[in-house]
Formats: sequence, structure tokens, C-alpha cells
Amino acid sequence: MANPVTATIRAYQMGFGDCFLLSFGYDDASARHILIDFGSTGMPDDTKVSLDAVAADIALQCGGALDIVVATHRHKDHISGFATGADGKGSGDVIRGLKPKRVIQPWTEAPDAPKGWKGPDGTKRANAFAAYQSSLENMHAVAQAVVDRLDRKDGFDPRWRLADRLRFVGEDNIKNLSAVKNLMTMAGAAKNNIFVYHGCVLDLSAILPNVTVHVLGPPTLQQSASIKTYAKSSDDYWLKARLLAALAATDNVSANKTSMLFPDLKSTDTFRKTKLPTEMRWVAERVDIAEQDQMLGIVTALDNVMNNTSVILLFEAGTKKLLFPGDAQLENWSYALQSDMADLLNDVDLYKVGHHGSLNATPKSMWKRFKKRGKTSTPERLKTVMSTMAGKHGGKNGAPTEVPRIPLVNELKADSTLFNTQDLKPTQLCQTITINLQ
Amino acid sequence: MTEIQPVRKLTIIAKDPGLRIGNDGPMVFAQVDVPAEILAPGPTGYRIKVVDYNATERRAYAARQSYQSGDILLDPFAPIEGEALTDRDYQVRVIGNPNFHAQNCYAIAMRTLGLFERALGRRVSWSSGGHQLHIVPHAFALANAFYSEPDRALMFGYFFDEEGKPIFTSLSHDVVAHETTHAVLDGLRSRYTEASGPDQAAFHEGFADIVAILSIFSLPEVVAAGLGITDKLPGVGEPLAFITEDKVTPAAIRDSILLGIGAEIGMATGAGRGALRQSVKLEPRPDILNDPDMAEAHSRGEVVVAAMAGAFVKMWTTRISHLGTFDGLGYNMTAVIEEGAKAAAQLLQMSIRAIDYCPPTDLDFGQFLAGLLTADRELVPDDSRFGYRELVRQSFGDFGIVPPPGQTDGDGCWPHFAASDALRYSRSNAEALTRDVDECFRFLWENRDALNITERGYTQVLSLDASLRIDPDGIPFRETICQYVQMGHFFGSELMAICKIDPLPEGFTTRTSADLFGGGVVVFDQYGRVKYHIGNGLIDGERQKRRLEYLRDNGQLRAQGGDERSRFANLHLARMGG
Ligand SMILES: [Zn+2]
Ligand SMILES: [Zn+2]
Repeated sequence: MANPVTATIRAYQMGFGDCFLLSFGYDDASARHILIDFGSTGMPDDTKVSLDAVAADIALQCGGALDIVVATHRHKDHISGFATGADGKGSGDVIRGLKPKRVIQPWTEAPDAPKGWKGPDGTKRANAFAAYQSSLENMHAVAQAVVDRLDRKDGFDPRWRLADRLRFVGEDNIKNLSAVKNLMTMAGAAKNNIFVYHGCVLDLSAILPNVTVHVLGPPTLQQSASIKTYAKSSDDYWLKARLLAALAATDNVSANKTSMLFPDLKSTDTFRKTKLPTEMRWVAERVDIAEQDQMLGIVTALDNVMNNTSVILLFEAGTKKLLFPGDAQLENWSYALQSDMADLLNDVDLYKVGHHGSLNATPKSMWKRFKKRGKTSTPERLKTVMSTMAGKHGGKNGAPTEVPRIPLVNELKADSTLFNTQDLKPTQLCQTITINLQ
Repeated sequence: MTEIQPVRKLTIIAKDPGLRIGNDGPMVFAQVDVPAEILAPGPTGYRIKVVDYNATERRAYAARQSYQSGDILLDPFAPIEGEALTDRDYQVRVIGNPNFHAQNCYAIAMRTLGLFERALGRRVSWSSGGHQLHIVPHAFALANAFYSEPDRALMFGYFFDEEGKPIFTSLSHDVVAHETTHAVLDGLRSRYTEASGPDQAAFHEGFADIVAILSIFSLPEVVAAGLGITDKLPGVGEPLAFITEDKVTPAAIRDSILLGIGAEIGMATGAGRGALRQSVKLEPRPDILNDPDMAEAHSRGEVVVAAMAGAFVKMWTTRISHLGTFDGLGYNMTAVIEEGAKAAAQLLQMSIRAIDYCPPTDLDFGQFLAGLLTADRELVPDDSRFGYRELVRQSFGDFGIVPPPGQTDGDGCWPHFAASDALRYSRSNAEALTRDVDECFRFLWENRDALNITERGYTQVLSLDASLRIDPDGIPFRETICQYVQMGHFFGSELMAICKIDPLPEGFTTRTSADLFGGGVVVFDQYGRVKYHIGNGLIDGERQKRRLEYLRDNGQLRAQGGDERSRFANLHLARMGG
């Protein structure tokens, strides 16, 4: 059986998004190609790169056939490229035409609970599984409602300084039906869609010989119940949030002559925002902002929950280890880091920087495990690859929530060889990293 | 000419809309005392300004009630002729009117503020510097309610239950009293909202619940309903009513709605799982605070609530057991309720006065306990009659909360200031010392060595407050509470050299910088001499190291203040989400 001798990683310009083509070259001159995520929430202004151009390059590089597609989680910035076009010529149609043999996704995308998966108490699995998925659906709906409201003329106070951030996170969390459907069917038979969770056995030897693929995340509900920091995602909470967000997004709630909350009030007993008595104005302005801040808080919370559904894959080929954690954040990592799989991380050779360089997607306790970190002269020095665009996600520059987090970027630069899509020139498609596996 | 009314009565929903008379009976309304004043629309009074603006609907509801007719103070939502507080039609009518919600908030907030002012014997300011705190009873369609210092406001949201019925957080006495307490506590100790160790944020939450729970026991009809009594309480001269023993066992009281918070919200958000919080049911364990899931502020705060509620249950049931039973009938109900009111009032007063004896920064639970015991000893030097202090200390001890070892005396109280003779009073004017912050600062500064106040930071007197007490002969006298804080910006190398933190916490280098806080409370006796000095030193390495490690682990080390609103907003949002 052939052995892999090289790994080539192409990190495409996605603006804020991820798209990596991982190609293994074998000693019999054959190759295997794995596409890990393909999505963007917006390209840099000056780039000439488009999703179509990237799709075309992927087709070219893989010689017209993909072996595996990995969609780490359902965020737009990871799957929007899989959407098909009405004319059959969308970037997702191109990928579909490459006939991937397998599609790998987290268990949260499965139609039914996969084999071996366990609910919080290890028993009521079907119920818990369905409840969790309906939470995710409700989260999409909250995001949708928030974006709808941003679109409405008087939905949010236009002077609110965080409106762009809310729209960005909101849009990233809207359900991307076309991409989801395409992922469900592009590998042909349903059995070719594999839904993974921490510690599950992923046997890809038939299509990816002599490469071991470890699944470090996401944890199942049973596993995540054992770590208390796991994001609270009570089903009932998200159902309520969905109803409230939808209510707040309807035109009538502010446009009606009468109050929806107190329908018996005469219109003369209410004051529209524009006609408030003087003594109410100062605090009313602040209540508006407080409401908007909370919507941002809610959307940020659901964004985190979705990020924590990310598949974390560790490819072991020849003497090397390549780590692709999607957007996994601390809660997802926590389980992997306290499991007996954590030791696998010690000699990672390539690390795809989690969640576009946000602070809590590269937990200190993980980063510290990487033994190959070090100054430029370090032999076999760790390589890191990051796909990001500053100023889109998270807090303002300098805030701990900025993405990418500048102190983290500095550390990546100091202690690893960093490949950053932000450094690509406007005409450049991707960063290319080659790793000798021998 | 009519006599000026000393207080005004206003109708509120007592405890929580989830408290019903009998199983599915009417809600419990009560008429409570609030200060007499001529109210402007809102209602707007001298401390509270209700603005009924709804951000989700982008509209405000006009305040249309008359609160006075000439000099006669009115309660516009009092039942009309022939109506009772328990009539369903009355309740439906009142609840349908947003102006009632506004009044409910106003009255509960004023009542809560009044509890503090009475216990402390002085006015308590809001920390914003303003005189009126805004209350927004229908701020937004969100299951959240919070205090926001920069907005000078309490904001109450609303949401809907499974049947689409609106649930108003502004109708829950528990929630309104909790949020008002946040605001009052922030006025008393403005630094307790800073990032600190695990206990400080938790204390804000726990203390707010303690006040919310204990403040209801002064309303007899509410306590009766909470104990499951469906009959009206007997009035003066009417025959006694009785309560069976099974209704006042420690277990029954722990289970009762009286010791829970937010029954209706809890039912609506948690798919019928009961109150939002029922801290008293926490199983005592001396190591409970080390549990990883006790790190979140509300959960951790519940431990203090549980300790206090545990003491209350013990106190009340002990007092009940001293009442005789009537053969086959149980206890005299009125007496049972009175004993509860006394026990609650005692603990509430103790809790509020304790704040005067708590350091102004980086509070921990043990220090609060020492403050509690000290405050009570100041008020009632002899504990032998009821053994309250011993009971409180025991109850806190069950949860691993003990007075700071080595810094407190045998009673668990702060010791009197020992080096009083080393202090130089001669250059200070005793009268000015207790009235003027600059004069007081001069005294602290001149005596910085004896008081162990370091020069390695910036020191400021935050407040000078009078604390009125009564001596054993019944003569009132005044002590003065001075609150000062210290701030300093330190680099790792200075943490080592000056604070003696060696080795530095993991992750720190000699160039890592950190803001440290310290400060203390100096209590001057009636002669202007230092009686207590209760403080956290700015360069106390051991304590600062613990704080820095905690902040590091919680990603708060470099958190810029800035986002004051979101502190309580996010905390409470997550909590109601369960
Ligand atoms: Zn992403
Ligand atoms: Zn994501």
C-alpha cells in the first residue's frame, strides 16, 4: 500500500472565512485531496479573489476529484461556498462536480444520533439529540430575526456603534439551506456522510491509506455535560429567545398605532419614540441601547455555541501531525484537553489557528503542549496557518474580544512559522505550505 | 385643615405573582408604607423616577394616575368600594394597567431603600451621584432585569410563557427588591463592581437575594399565604387562628415560596421547575465553594444566601418552638408570623449594618461574616439571650465561610484598633475629622505608618458616614465610618519587590502590569478616636496574588472597565436563561 510522503496545505483567501485544501502526495505518485471548509462572510475590498475562482482552483489542484470534504460546523464563513447556484454554476456546484467520496461533519448535523453517541445522562439519547438540534434551529431563527430587524427602517437606533458587529455575527449564524442540502447529498449515498464526535472511530483507510484521522471534538452531550463550563444551551431558553427576537423584528411592534403589549391602551395614552415627553428622553435613549447590547450578547452567545460544534481533526501521516480545529472554542477544547487524547497534541507540526485567531479558540493549555514551538532556528519548527480578516468579528481593536487577537498573532509569529491569509496580495489565491512527512 | 400624612400607602403585588392564596387562588396584594411626598407623573419622587419606555415597541406608556388631591395622598390602585385585594376582577384590572406596574416598582424600590436608610440611620446615595434612580418597568421584550450604573437605571424586561401570557419581571417583588439592592449596595460600596476575586461579584448577587427574601417577612398576609394559609388573618380582638405544626417545620419552611426568588419567572422559563432560585436548599458542605460550578457569580452568591437563610430558618423555628401549642390545633398563627418578622428584621438589620464593617475593595465572604458579627455586637453586645451571632456563625461555617483567621477575635468579630495610642490626633480638628473628607484624609495621611497605609499608590477617602447607635442607657450617640480606597499600577518586577509576590503567578513576567486595589474602613468612636480599622492592604502580596490568579483564569486581567452596563445585564441574562 502506498505511503504519504508530502502534505500540501492551500489556505485560500476567504476574507473572514475558512477554506483549506489538504493534499497528500504518495510514494506511488498518487494523491488524495481533502477540502476542509469553504465559506466566507466577505472578502477584503481590494482582492480579485472570488468564491468561483477558488472553486475553480480547487478543481484544478485536485485533478477533478475530491476524496473528502470536511464541513467543521454550520457557520456561513465555513460553508457558504458549498451553496449551489440557480443556474447550476455556483461554487457549490463545482465542488459537487468533484464527487467527494465522503463528507465529514459534526454529530450536530446528523439526521439521527450516530452510533455510540450519548445524551447528557447516557440514556435518553433520541430526546436529547432532537432537543439540541432544535436549539440550533432556534438559534438560526434568532439570528435571522436580528438581521431582519436591522433591515427594518426603525428596527435599531442607527447611531448605535455596534450595529455592524451585530449584523456581521447575525448573518454568519443564519441558516444556509442551499449549502446544507448540498453537503447532505454531494457524496452520493447517505452512508458516505459521516458524523463525528470526540473519540469516535473514523476509518478512512479505503480512501486515505496510511493516514490516521483522530477526532478530538466536538464532545457529545454526555461528554460535554461532564465539563461544567460548556455553554448553557437550554432548549427552552432558545425557544423563548426565538419568539422574543421574532416579535421584536415584526413591523407591527413599533409601527402599530397601539401597543401590542397593552392592546387596551388608547393611542393617546402612549407616546411614540419621536414624541416622548422631555423628561423621558435621556433614559429612553439608553434603554434602546441597552436592548441592542443585549441582542448582541444573545447573538454572540449563540455564535459561541455554534463554534463549539466544530469538528476537531488531527491527521497523523508519516512522522507528522496536522491539526484542524475549525472554530472550536474553550468549551469544545476543554473536553479534548482533559481526555487521554490530549497527548496527541504534544508533537503537532501544523496547527490551523482556531476561529480566525480569536483569544479563546487557542487555549493556553493547548498551545503550551506544542513542543515544536520556538524561535526561528528551532528544528522542525511548528507551522501555523490562519485565515482571517481584521475588523469584522468581535470587539474593537485592543479589546480582549478582537479577532484576530493581536497578542496571539504576535505569539504565533514569535514561536511558529505563521502563514496568514491577511498577508496575501490582492491577486494571490492562497498561501501554500508544504510539509515533508518523512 | 387636615393633618399631614406621615406615610403614604401604596398597593403592590407582594413577593411574586407566583405566590397564590391556596393552590390556584388569587395573587397576594399588599398595601405598603412609602415616604409621604407629592409625586410627579411616573411616578417620580425624590429618589425614584419611573419612565415607562419600551425599547421593543419604541413607545412609552403615559402615566395617567393621580397620586394626590391637594394635600391628601392617594393610592390610585387601592380597591374601590366593595372590592377586596383578593378579588380576581380587581387583580385582572390592575395587572392590565401598565401604570400599576410602574407604581409596583416605585413602591418596592422606595421600601427597599427605606430598609437601608432605617437600618443605617442615614440617607444612602446612589453611586451615580444623581438623586433619582430611573426605573423602566417594561424596558424590552427580553427575559432579563438588571441594574445599570451608567444609565442610572433599573431596567425590567418582559417575556411570554407557553400560553403566550406576558410575564413581567417588574411585577415580582423579589426581582425589584433584588435589583434595587444592587443599586443601593453600589451606592454604599462603589468598588464592589470592580473585577476582583470570586466572592465579590457573587456577594453582590447573594446580598441582593438576602434583602429580597428577608424584606417580605414584615408583611403578615404574605407570610401567611406563603405558609399555605388560605384564611384571612384575624384582626385585633378577633378569635385566634391556628397553624398546624407540619406547616412550620424547618423542611416545610425551606420548601416554601417564601425562601425562593422569582417563582413565576422560574415556572415560565424553566418548564415548571419552580422558583428561579431556592438557595436555602443547597446542601451545606464546608468545601462547597471549591466546586468548579460554584465559580459563577449567581451560583456562588447562592452559598451566602443559603448560609443566611439557614440561620433564619433555625432562628424562626427555634422561636416558634418556644411558643406553646394549642392541643390539636397547633400554634397561634399570628404569633408564628410575628416571630418570623422579628427574626427576619434582626438578620436584615445585621446584614445591612454589616456593610459598614466591610472593606471597600475585594470583599470576600469571610470578611462579610466578620462584618455581620461585628455590626451585631456593636448593637447588642450581649449575645447570650438568643445566641444569634453564634447561630449565624455556625450556619456560615457549615458552608466553609469563617471569619478571616488571624484577623478576627474569639467572637469572629473584627478586633478593636490596638495601636490607638500611636496615632497623632493633635493636628486634626475632631469635629472636622468626622465631617470633612479632606480633614479625614489628612488624619489618615499623617498617621499612615501607624495605620499601615502604604505610600505606594494613590489613596482617597470615598465617604464619611454617620452611624447612629444607642448606648446601654438608651442615649443615642454617633460613630463615624470613613471609607478609603487605594489604587496602584504595578509591574511584575514591583509585584515581586514591593508586594513580595515571589514567584510571580504563572503567566506573569517582570514586565506584566496589573492594577491593584486596596483600602479600608476606619470607624471613629463618639470621641473621634479610631475604634476599628478594617482593610485590605494595597501591597498585601498574598491577597493580591490570589486575586491576580483569579482574574487571569477568568480572562479579566486586561479587561478594561468600560462596559459597566453589560456586567449585570449579561450576568442576569445568562441566569434567567438557566
Ligand atoms: Zn469561522
Ligand atoms: Zn464559526
